[in-house]
Amino acid sequence: MTVMRDTVVKSLAKITVQGDENGLIPEYDVLVNLLPVSLLNKFTERILAAAPADKKGTVEEGLVRAAYECGYHTGCGIITSDIFNDVVLPMVTEGEKDILRGAYAAFTAWGWAKSGIVQLKEAEKMVIRANDYYEADSVGEGLRAYMFRGLCQAFFDLTYADPYPDGMDTYVCRQTKGIETGDPYGEFVVTKK
Amino acid sequence: MSLKLDFNLDNETYRHYLNGHPVVMHSHHYLALVTKLAEDLDDIGGAVILRDVVEETMWAIFEDYIQKNGLTSPLDRCNVGREYYSAFGLGKMVVTGSESGGEVRLIRSHIDEGWIMKWGPHSKPINHLTCGYIAAIFAAAFNKPVKSYKVTEAVSMAGGDAEGKFIIKLA
Repeated sequence: MTVMRDTVVKSLAKITVQGDENGLIPEYDVLVNLLPVSLLNKFTERILAAAPADKKGTVEEGLVRAAYECGYHTGCGIITSDIFNDVVLPMVTEGEKDILRGAYAAFTAWGWAKSGIVQLKEAEKMVIRANDYYEADSVGEGLRAYMFRGLCQAFFDLTYADPYPDGMDTYVCRQTKGIETGDPYGEFVVTKK
Repeated sequence: MSLKLDFNLDNETYRHYLNGHPVVMHSHHYLALVTKLAEDLDDIGGAVILRDVVEETMWAIFEDYIQKNGLTSPLDRCNVGREYYSAFGLGKMVVTGSESGGEVRLIRSHIDEGWIMKWGPHSKPINHLTCGYIAAIFAAAFNKPVKSYKVTEAVSMAGGDAEGKFIIKLA
């Protein structure tokens, strides 16, 4: 048996989080927050709009980096969590490949991007297709799924680079298609840096 | 008053909703780095952009809840924002004041504690997100538009203090 995506998505999607008596959400070895999508998209739009042409690259890198570090550290907590162990690990028969499949099922279930792997050359290259992602709602120019790029890069590092926490910045993710620019889906390609 | 929390899931896209508003989970790493990005880009108004975006977004969410639930007293209207803060996982605050301004004590803070977990104490206040958030709480509580209040972070947990303190004045 390999990871049954629909089963994983349906199991994980039921999970909701909210603050404890201190107003905090300690999960997956980090503090989790639950914020309106419009807040995150508006920040991206406005900070990019405010940046002069020679600074836009720095802003984009910063936005990817925020998601990358979030994905790398939180991702480690997710793939070693009780819920991941209970739901995904019993289906894992193809090692790292199945862990990655489970991760993309989690991305889908938790509303980051309805996405999955369409091509995988282990430890070398991965192509992801996303049929829905919240960054596609943002207003702006060009491909702008910075958060999802960071997540894709983080999970490939977690899966194929040196063991956590030494494998950071081994791979890089480029976005090649975007719903936000009129394509039918978003496409993301992860390769060695 | 106790905030009603209605979580929903779109079974087609798997997007999540809280009281009808799309929401998404991230970790303290994400908000710490977004805050740092805003700080690093202060020459183009990064911190102000972050405050303004938070104030506008949250004000709309508070107003939506206030209207749908017919809340009229400033206390009830204020509690919407205060309780949402904890539901979003942002921490715990005590709000005091009147239409002319007030004070917020931050007892726990996702942003400050997350910053310290990531980088240790900082030399100056960094909680721009909560400044914008508090401006939205006061505007919604006293039935005013956004940008009605100026919020200053006077004492900072990220700076090493046990609690945060924010001063609110009519703009």
